[in-house]
Amino acid sequence: MQLRRQPLPAPRPGDPYPAAPLLALLLLLALQGAAAAPAGSGDPEDSGWRQDAELPRGLLSQAARAALHFFNFRASSPSALRVLAEVKEGRAWINQKKEYKVDLAFTTELYNPEEGKERLGKCSARVFFRNEKPRPAINITCTRLIEKKTRQEEDYRLYKYMKQLQNLLDVVSIPDSHGHIDPSLRPIWDLAFLGSSYVMWEKTTQFLHYYMAQLSVKQWKTNEDAIDFDYTVLLHEFSTQEMIPCHIHLVWYPGKPLKVKYHCQELQTPEEASGTEEGSAVAPTELSNF
Amino acid sequence: MIEDVQSLLDEEQEQMFASQSWARSTNTFNYATYHTLREIYDFMDLLAAEHPQLVSKLQIGSSYEGRPIYVLKFSTGGNNRPAIWIDTGIHSREWVTQASGVWFAKKITQDYGQDPTLTAILDNMDIFLEIVTNPDGFAFTHSKNRLWRKTRSLTSGSTCIGVDPNRNWDAGFGKAGASSNPCSETYRGKFANSEVEVKSIVDFVKDHRNIKAFISIHSYSQLLLYPFGYKKESPADKDELDQVARSAVEALTSLYGTKFKYGSIITTIYQASGGTIDWTYNQGIKYSFTFELRDTGRYGFLLPASQIVPTAQETWLALLTIMEHTLNHPY
Repeated sequence: MQLRRQPLPAPRPGDPYPAAPLLALLLLLALQGAAAAPAGSGDPEDSGWRQDAELPRGLLSQAARAALHFFNFRASSPSALRVLAEVKEGRAWINQKKEYKVDLAFTTELYNPEEGKERLGKCSARVFFRNEKPRPAINITCTRLIEKKTRQEEDYRLYKYMKQLQNLLDVVSIPDSHGHIDPSLRPIWDLAFLGSSYVMWEKTTQFLHYYMAQLSVKQWKTNEDAIDFDYTVLLHEFSTQEMIPCHIHLVWYPGKPLKVKYHCQELQTPEEASGTEEGSAVAPTELSNF
Repeated sequence: MIEDVQSLLDEEQEQMFASQSWARSTNTFNYATYHTLREIYDFMDLLAAEHPQLVSKLQIGSSYEGRPIYVLKFSTGGNNRPAIWIDTGIHSREWVTQASGVWFAKKITQDYGQDPTLTAILDNMDIFLEIVTNPDGFAFTHSKNRLWRKTRSLTSGSTCIGVDPNRNWDAGFGKAGASSNPCSETYRGKFANSEVEVKSIVDFVKDHRNIKAFISIHSYSQLLLYPFGYKKESPADKDELDQVARSAVEALTSLYGTKFKYGSIITTIYQASGGTIDWTYNQGIKYSFTFELRDTGRYGFLLPASQIVPTAQETWLALLTIMEHTLNHPY
């Protein structure tokens, strides 16, 4: 179906971003009917949403990160992971519950770029931040970076490689202190990143965002068809600078949606200031999509 | 025959010290790997011994656990010349910064007399370089917890250890942008300058009275920042600082294409109170900057050693830009 470009509307006062590409974007999203949209997501002007022309610092980047974590998780493909390259444009609306609705466009790179080949993908997304509650709702579409067939073959190749991997319990940390990941263990890191994407998606809010710092293998089972991977990961939360230990258990089979169960030590609150050397209060929450 | 014996002896010496990675000169030191505290301190002694006319090692204090805190002074003479201050490793897990500091030290000795810009700078100004600004934390990242950030001071009333040395300065201390929880990674400490690692620098700066640029180096995020972190108001010199930052970032990016953003701390990264360069700026050190080096999250603190030298090289171009501007704009 052809999208007819609307004529450029006059920019509204305080609107720093040109509206035309976003209009095309919104139409595209409406037509796509991607992941389930929460209630009140229709026309930007209804349901008590008013446009936030001031755009709190970093809001667009937060939205891009949340959207990409969700995208990576949903793709369930360790050979096609993406990272944020650059936010291009965006708009946000806020409602009385201090929830944010963000429309944005951004570019992505491959998590594992090939030598000399810099591929930039384009994504457009709508992200709902529910006032610091977890699980931002995401609608996202991206241009294809890798041919579907190539991706499937690469995933299957990784799967076969992982099936024959053994003796992983000696592996204490990936990367090591010097940032080194043995090439033979790189697929483990990628698979762990895929599982962590689910966790990082759920935990990203308009203020908090995460990076995967280091992992250690707890269990690696390949006797069944799927890869059954149990690991602990340290997630670096940027605004508080905290290292959050998470225990993640994933089950992966190429072409099938990833299954993840996890349990993270929650961020300290002042009231829970107990004392351990690593300093985090334990308030475990077990979440999964099983 | 004599040559053979000599090479045998050399080989034996090398093997004897190989397990300790003990370089016998700064020319055999491996800049492309991460080092221990001992190795970095040995490097400082080697460098000072190799360039006694240019380099001297000062002790500005002792850490909480009693480790010496050293600063390298690069000077071609004069008496208390206007100076540039550079520190790395205030947050101990940011290993690419200490590693870059080591590289900068060597670079200065190589380029003085060779590179016109650096030579002009050192003919008129001194450079102070504190490579391991948080030695206790750094030792801890080697022995127990690679991702330790803070100092290792004990806090009475808590079993949690350490204060964030970049929230402990007397600039907006107590305001939003730091934590009052001793278990937090951004714990500000019980009072400003409670940390000897911070107080040592404060005393040095106040005693010196002639520092004209102050650059504190962190990782990661790829940012070049100027004050303020504790408040939204712009510094009076905002336009000039922004211009300098822009030029410095351009110079950095020119080498490998590494993209940096720049701006004030509070608008670019987050609100942070009690920060180093907010204090130094309020002391009248106009050219106060903070770097966040590579990367942007792929490896974060665990940056592969193969990226140390490229990171140091590109950062050096930015530092030269700031230093040259400082030289050409005396105040």
